[in-house]
Amino acid sequence: MDLLLQYLANGIVTGSTYVLVAVGLTLIFGILGVVNFAHGEFYMIGGYAGILAINVMHLAVLPAILLVLAVAACVGLGAEVILHRPMKNRDATSSIVSSFGLAVALQNAALIVMGPQPQRLNLDASKMPLLSDLPTEIGPVFLPHQRMLIPLTTVVLIAALYVVLRYTWTGRSLRAMAQHATVARLCGVHVERVALVTFATGAALAGIAGMLMSSVFLVYPIVGNMIALKAFTVVILGGMGNVAGAAGAGILLGVIESLTSAYISNSMRDIVGFVIVIGVLLLRPNGLFGKAVERS
Amino acid sequence: MLPMSGPASIEGRQILLGLQFAVEEVNAKGGLFGSKIELVVEDDESNSTKGVTAVRKLIERDKVPFIVGTYASAVVVAAVKVAAEYKIPMLSAGSTAAAATDQNTPGDPWFFRSWPDSNRQGEDTAKAIVEKFKKTKVAIIHDNTNYGVTLADQVTRVVTGVGGAIVSRDSYNAGEQDFSSMLTKIRTLRPEAVYIGGWAGDGANIVRQAAEIGLRAQFVGSGSMLSDDFIRLAGPASEGFAVATVFEPSTPNPIGRAFAERFRARYNQEANTFSSLGFDSTSIGLEAMRRVGKPDGQEIQKMIKGGMKDFALVQGPAGTTATFNEKGSVDFPDFIAVIKDGKRRLEV
Repeated sequence: MDLLLQYLANGIVTGSTYVLVAVGLTLIFGILGVVNFAHGEFYMIGGYAGILAINVMHLAVLPAILLVLAVAACVGLGAEVILHRPMKNRDATSSIVSSFGLAVALQNAALIVMGPQPQRLNLDASKMPLLSDLPTEIGPVFLPHQRMLIPLTTVVLIAALYVVLRYTWTGRSLRAMAQHATVARLCGVHVERVALVTFATGAALAGIAGMLMSSVFLVYPIVGNMIALKAFTVVILGGMGNVAGAAGAGILLGVIESLTSAYISNSMRDIVGFVIVIGVLLLRPNGLFGKAVERS
Repeated sequence: MLPMSGPASIEGRQILLGLQFAVEEVNAKGGLFGSKIELVVEDDESNSTKGVTAVRKLIERDKVPFIVGTYASAVVVAAVKVAAEYKIPMLSAGSTAAAATDQNTPGDPWFFRSWPDSNRQGEDTAKAIVEKFKKTKVAIIHDNTNYGVTLADQVTRVVTGVGGAIVSRDSYNAGEQDFSSMLTKIRTLRPEAVYIGGWAGDGANIVRQAAEIGLRAQFVGSGSMLSDDFIRLAGPASEGFAVATVFEPSTPNPIGRAFAERFRARYNQEANTFSSLGFDSTSIGLEAMRRVGKPDGQEIQKMIKGGMKDFALVQGPAGTTATFNEKGSVDFPDFIAVIKDGKRRLEV
């Protein structure tokens, strides 16, 4: 029983990164209809930007997070210019194929600049203000500060995103676009700006996930492959374009994986998520949290 | 022939220093047959096709009498077929897989490796867990590649053979990042030793996460974790980690120690496994050529095969010589190095 709680905690930590990556992915899909296969690379770039900020420039944690946000957002803006702007009036497959191309280009750029060897972010979270006051052992559960930082940051960022989407004009125009692009445009929503904001936000969230995870795990040029697949799993489970669904499904996938490697077999953990996705697509094609909508 | 670019370029450059050092030392004594030795370097990029082309070019255009190469065993397997056709012997520059020497015709090898193969390495490591560290309850963690599975099978066989017991066996996909749940589970089984078979990056990740969750045991790793990168990535968690090796600058082998000192004086850096094996392979080839008296591939192959039993190597324990067996491999027990204060040490 004690161990079950530990497994759940481990699952929530990995699940939180899935949430950060998947929420950006589902935003970009829900609002702009772009299926972005280069999303895992935003995660990878966030990891390297974090290494640059902390290992090389020796920034403190908060400025480092801001730098990573800025770098990832800029990459997101660039991706919008490549993946969305020239393709938006074409078939959806155009942007899918070009996002694959972007993923390969970014991976190889990282291979040339950073080299193939895995690298690690030397972030000592136990010295951070506020965080260092928290206990690392809560009952039977042991969570080092480094790991604790991940779900905490996820909660803060997702809450901020929720507030922005709910209460600001930018958020309203994003939601309007998601509901109906033409009507949104007729109502005076600045469509180009919405596209830029969406990509920048999505990339920034993935970048932060990459930065946080490379202090616990390692970052290398192709690290984004698996995380992008996981994020797609989460997006499908949560319902394509459904932000709250992605948040719930991300945590769920993390916990399922953790329990699988604990109670069944570690080699099954990557399989189990995809099996569930296939099942969900067969039985509930709108996702676990999706609503069936009648087409007009 | 070495991987000077591509995924193994870091290793390739380290090995090349050993080759250059061996050539320099012979040239400093006046070279061979009245002229200086010239080293021709080709890049195989750890790619079999490139490797085969490189071997052809070295033999046809540069007319080399023997080849030191290469690091990736898959490239060796392809390249040595071409070299053998031209009757040009090859000496390993890092390839350790048993497959490379097993494909030699017994008694007539064209690929030589002056240190034990991967099977011996795995066996020595597994034996050390029980016999050297006196740990009998062993947990195995391995990746799902051919490399990891083969090692795990071997460790299971050897450990149970010498009186140990395997308490658990878990696998992961190479490149997987989160091992915390798997390690938490292993901790409840209280193993005395944990063996990791896989690539260095994953191994470092496992060792670090194990330290995080408080899994305390003697960690032992496969040959790929014999790099300073591993220590850098694993950080303080690598303390006490054990791995099999054929050379360290602090080797008890006096020939090896002298080499390490000369190397340090010349390059202002420590010699390592890579530079030592590059040095040995090159020295064996050059010495065989000197003994034959002419740059003739076929004669050199015969000399390496049987005539070098008195030639001392920098690798292995004191007194190791270039005594090649039927399959073209030199057999000696591996050292078991233990990481202490961020450095591999042979004495514990």
